[in-house]
Amino acid sequence: MRIVVAYKWTCDPEEATARADGTVDWSRAKPGLSAYDPVAIEVARQFADEAGAELIGVTAGGKGVASPLAAKAALGRGLDRVVTVEDESLADAGRSELAAVLAEVIRHIGDVDLIITGDSSVDVAAKMVPTVLAGELGWPAVAEVTSITGQAGALRVERAIPGGVQLLEISGPAVLAAAADAAAPRVPGMKDLLAAGKKPAELLELAALKVPPPNAVMTVTGRAVPEHKPRQGQLIDTADPAEAAAELVSALRQAGAL
Amino acid sequence: MDFELTDEQQLIREAVREFAETEVTPIAAELDRDHRFPRELLPRLAEMNLMGMPYPEKEGGAGADYVSYVISIEELSRACASTAVIVSAHTSLATWPIFKFGTQAQKDQYLNDMASGRRLGAFALTEPAAGTDAGAGTATATMHADGYALNGSKMFITNAPYADVYVAFAKTDPERGTRGMSAFIVEKDTPGFSVGEAEHKLGIRGSSTPPVYFSDCRVPRDALLGGEGDGFKIAMATLDGGRIGIAAQALGIAQAALDASVAYAKERVQFGKPIATLQAIQWMIADMATEIDAARLLVYRAASCVDNGRPYSTEGAMAKLFASEVATRVAGKAIQIHGGYGYTESYPVERNYRDAKITEIYEGTSEVQRMVIARSTLR
Repeated sequence: MRIVVAYKWTCDPEEATARADGTVDWSRAKPGLSAYDPVAIEVARQFADEAGAELIGVTAGGKGVASPLAAKAALGRGLDRVVTVEDESLADAGRSELAAVLAEVIRHIGDVDLIITGDSSVDVAAKMVPTVLAGELGWPAVAEVTSITGQAGALRVERAIPGGVQLLEISGPAVLAAAADAAAPRVPGMKDLLAAGKKPAELLELAALKVPPPNAVMTVTGRAVPEHKPRQGQLIDTADPAEAAAELVSALRQAGAL
Repeated sequence: MDFELTDEQQLIREAVREFAETEVTPIAAELDRDHRFPRELLPRLAEMNLMGMPYPEKEGGAGADYVSYVISIEELSRACASTAVIVSAHTSLATWPIFKFGTQAQKDQYLNDMASGRRLGAFALTEPAAGTDAGAGTATATMHADGYALNGSKMFITNAPYADVYVAFAKTDPERGTRGMSAFIVEKDTPGFSVGEAEHKLGIRGSSTPPVYFSDCRVPRDALLGGEGDGFKIAMATLDGGRIGIAAQALGIAQAALDASVAYAKERVQFGKPIATLQAIQWMIADMATEIDAARLLVYRAASCVDNGRPYSTEGAMAKLFASEVATRVAGKAIQIHGGYGYTESYPVERNYRDAKITEIYEGTSEVQRMVIARSTLR
C-alpha cells in the first residue's frame, strides 16, 4: 500500500508583522512545516505502520520548499521519502494551480492508495487544496478525519461532525484531511532527525510534469474584516424583573437579534 | 567563518524545544517547589535519544555532534535547569569516562545501556573536605584478593540515588597524592554502597544531590577504570568536557530569563505605556541580549573544538566562566525588570535567579576556570 502526505513548507503568520499600509512583512518569519501537517504525518505514520504501507511526503511551492532543511524537517517526522516540486512560478500560485501540480506529482509516483493532508495551512487556511486535489484526481475527499483503519480499497474512516462521529467505508483511493486534533504529533527523536538526511528526496521539474491547466481557476479578489458594530451601551433598570425582561426583549427585537 | 547552524542542528534545537515546552515546562515549577526528581522524564528523555547524544549509534548513543548536544542542554535548561543537569551529568560526567577510558569489557557491560538512557549514571568525586581541591580526597580503595574495598564518603553527587552506575574516585595509594587516585565503576546495589539524604538547595531543586558512602564496598578488579593512579587525570579530563555542558545550562537559564523579561516588558503598563518603551528597560534588555549572544558564541565554539578534535580545555573554561556569570547577571536583571512580581513565585524569573548561581560553582568554580585560562594565556 502506498500512502502520500501532502505537506506545506511555509511561514507562521504569528511571526509576521503588519506594516502601516496594511501589507504583511514576512521577513522575520522563519519557514517551517505548516502547523497541522505534523498531525497529518502522525495519523499517516500510525496507519502506515499498521497497514505495512510506504509513506511518501509531497509538496510543491516556491523557493525553499525543496531545500534540504525542508525535506529533513518533513522526513524527520516519520516519512519514508519525499517528492517535491520547487519553482518560482509557484510562489504565489492559487489553490487550484497548486492542486493541479500536486495531482501530477501523485500520477508521477503512481499506485497511490491514499492521500492525507493537514486540516489547513497555517498561512492561508483556505481549506481548499484537499478537495480541489481530490477533484483533479477524481477521488472522494473527506475532511475532519479523526481515524483511519483498514487497507487499500477498503478504508474505514471516522470523522468528526457536529455532535458526534461519522463512520465511513471508502472502496477506493481518497483524499483525507486530518482534523487538527486527530493525533498528538510525536516530537522527532535525535536519531530520527539525524537519519532524515539519508532518506530519499526526489526533486521534480515543474516543466517536465506538463501540468494541464486546472479545470477551474479560483482567484482571491479581496479580503475584508467583519463589520464591527459598536456596542449600544443600553442600560436596563432591573428593579422590577418583569418590566426589565419585557424591555430587554423589546430591545433585542429592535436590534434584530430576535 | 560560518556562524550558521547546520540543518540538523536547527532541527534538533526545534525538536528539543518542542519536547521541553510540551513535557518539561509544565512540571518545572512543581519540581522546584517540591524538590522533586523527575523520574517520569527519564524514559522520555531516553526515547528522544537525549541521554547519550554525542556517542556513536553503535554504542547506543544518537551519533550527534557536540554542538547539537550543547544545544539540547541549552533548550532543556530554558525549560528546567534541573532536568538539564540530570542529562548533562549523566552524559558528560558518568558516561564519557567509560566511553573514553573503559576496556572493551567495561564498554560492553555499561556503555550501550548508559548511552541509550536505559541506565542512569553519576560521577562521585567531591568529598566533604575536597571540592575545588579534588586531589585532597581521602576515600580509599584497598586491593584484596578478589578486587578492591572502597571506603569513604562523597557529597553533592548529582543523580544519586536514582543512578544505576557510579564513576567513583578513591586513592589506591594515598601517599602519592593525586597520582595515587584511581577511578572505579560502582553499581548501585553493591554491598557497602549507600546514599544519604538529599540536600535542600537554593536552586536546581529538581536535581538530586545527596552524599554517597562507601563502607568496605567490595568491587571486582575489573571495576577499575583506566590504570591505578589514572583517576585524577580521568577526573580532570572528564570535567574539561563536562563544563561545556554546564556552560550550555547557564546559557539556557539566561535565555529563559531574557524571554520572560521581553514578554513582561511588552505587557506591563506603567505611566500609560508598556515599560518596553522606557529607555531604562530597553538598555537592560539590550545588555542582556548582547551578553547572552556572546556567551552562546563561546559555548558553541568550545563544542565545535570537541567536534573538530582540537584542544578544548581553555575554550571550555572560557565558555563556562562567561556563560555562568552572564546567567547570574541576566537573571538578576530579569527580576529587576519584573519588579515586585519578579520576587514572587508567580513568575519564573526567581527560579532562573536561584538556578543560575550553581553554574558559577559546580564542575569547577569560576576561580578554577580563571586559573585554567590564566595558565594557558601566560604560557
